[in-house]
Amino acid sequence: MFFWPNLRRRLAFLHTLVILAFLLAPLVIMVPISLTSGTMLTLPVPGWSLHWYEVIFTDSRWTVALVNSLIVGVAATALATALGTLAAIGLSWGRFPGQQTMLAIISLPLVLPIVILGVACFSFYASVGLIGSRLSLILAHAGLAAPVVVTTVLASLKGFDRNLMRAGASLGAGPLMSFRRILVPLVAPGILTGALIAFLVSFDEVVIASFITSTEHRTLPRQIFSGVRESISPAIAAAAIVLVLISGILLAFTSYIERRARAHKAGGK
Amino acid sequence: MGNRAPGNRRSVFSRLGANRDLRLFLLVLPLLAFVVVTVMIPVGQFLYRAVDNDLLAENLKLTAASLADWSPDQGVPGEASFRALAHDIRNAREAGTLGQVAQALNQQITGVRNGFIKAAMLVDEPDAVTVEDLTRVIPALGEVPLWSLLKSAQSRWTDFYLLQSIDLERDQAGAIVNVPADRAIFRDIIWRTIAISVNVTLICILLSLPVAHVLANARPPWSGILLALVLFPLWTSLLVRTVSWIIILQGEGPVNATLLFLGLIEEPLRLVYTRGSLYIAMVQVLLPLMILSILSVLLKLPKELLRAATSLGANWWQGYWRVLLPLLSPGILTGSAIVFVFALGYYITPTLIGGPRDQMLSSYVAQFTNKTLNWGLAGALAVQLMALLLIAGLGWAAFRRLGRRS
Repeated sequence: MFFWPNLRRRLAFLHTLVILAFLLAPLVIMVPISLTSGTMLTLPVPGWSLHWYEVIFTDSRWTVALVNSLIVGVAATALATALGTLAAIGLSWGRFPGQQTMLAIISLPLVLPIVILGVACFSFYASVGLIGSRLSLILAHAGLAAPVVVTTVLASLKGFDRNLMRAGASLGAGPLMSFRRILVPLVAPGILTGALIAFLVSFDEVVIASFITSTEHRTLPRQIFSGVRESISPAIAAAAIVLVLISGILLAFTSYIERRARAHKAGGK
Repeated sequence: MGNRAPGNRRSVFSRLGANRDLRLFLLVLPLLAFVVVTVMIPVGQFLYRAVDNDLLAENLKLTAASLADWSPDQGVPGEASFRALAHDIRNAREAGTLGQVAQALNQQITGVRNGFIKAAMLVDEPDAVTVEDLTRVIPALGEVPLWSLLKSAQSRWTDFYLLQSIDLERDQAGAIVNVPADRAIFRDIIWRTIAISVNVTLICILLSLPVAHVLANARPPWSGILLALVLFPLWTSLLVRTVSWIIILQGEGPVNATLLFLGLIEEPLRLVYTRGSLYIAMVQVLLPLMILSILSVLLKLPKELLRAATSLGANWWQGYWRVLLPLLSPGILTGSAIVFVFALGYYITPTLIGGPRDQMLSSYVAQFTNKTLNWGLAGALAVQLMALLLIAGLGWAAFRRLGRRS
């Protein structure tokens, strides 16, 4: 009776719904808590208010953290995207010894336990006198995000017809011009996707930030992290919602770009 | 190719394949150099701290030299070694490294730190310092273990921290032995790290399989919506999700409130800061990765497979177990490798949502760096963690090769 196929299918479907609820619960629960009028992180909320959003957009501890996160995120993304795109082109088109090893080295930050990277960054930036500076965090995040850019650009280069570069050259375009006018526009979706994910990596990173940033340069996740340990207030939930919203918007934007690029290709333009 | 105008720079560029490859390599070089300088070398230096004995070797040169012919069974060495130590202490004081030396010695023999700092006052005239003077401020000098430690400054490397990180030490004769049970903590931590990671991986496999099947069989637009819902948590902050679980599971949280309301419990259960809450939070974070890995393989398999097996007389379980599961194993294996490797290195989640008995290796690496500044031990624990990752990686590669061959 139990193995009656319909029942089995229904059980699997029910299981999937439960799992989805389990996966989404922690995100959903933050919404009412961030809108509470009380001072505790509890449910049900005593009343509704936007107070905690006001706090994170006016209290200097939160605004400084938000601004720092944006500065670090943008700078690290720029660096990771520039370095990662160039490296992906080199790895994709070149044929030279040790390519696999190079890709492995570049991907190292992806598999390293984050604490080991954090401690290593701490002693490295301390030894070069950059500890506590914003620059150190930008460099560390760029290293963490670069492999992601390399991966996405490598993937989009697979669909790139290199005869286009030769055609450009035959029409008299120099390497820089071909790069700027032919290559970049065509693999732009890949580069942009990589850049957006790189930004998310930096925007969400807390462990390295907690090892190498000083109080004045703390980022949003770092502020949430210390908030959890020091003073639990619904401001954390509001900050978390802001973090998720920014991630969500960027992600929606990414998939929009990808879809448009695909439609573009299918249209044969 | 030969038809090109002679003035065209491109013709030279593309004629020489090797030259072109060199240029392309130069594109890779900046990122490669960047990662080597800001990631590889710093991580290498940190791991090297596990065996690094440079500080003692540099600062206790004279003492170590005076102990060249000494061995622990001779008892406390003679006056010459005390005098050499007095010279070393004075030199370290002048160089400003005495504090670090005292700290490093203290990590191996607890309680000697203050003695070495105090001894700095006595050694203005190192040759006039007596055995009694030094022994008065550093009582441990009257016993053999400290002298064995000082003799170890002969080498630029030490195995002390690596041994300590797996609950081993050297006895007076230099043989490697287990540390007394009351000081043995690290094997427990390593096993705990492995056990938590294995359990999280197994839970993820079990929970993922039905979900992957439902996703694979769903029709558009449901398939897309379900997949997006599975993927969405992957793109939201790990930190946020962990904090959420604390709120959900805490004493006044919705889970306890519901159970109280239903009358199933009399008073709030202690759900957060336990092993259970750690599993819940870790599985929630890692589950989408497993679902995706299994789904990617499942989508490539023909849908009629199971029906074919059952039509040949197998019952559903036999068909699933003997036919479908072996074909799914590459996806399960890849998913397990990803989940297991991520789980091994977990830090934020155990720190925030686990109790003191649920902390994993990463937490101790951070703790020995931040709180006790014991870089040697932190480095040694990092080496253990890297070794676990390496074993997991090799195991995965071996399994995959085995799977391909059969």
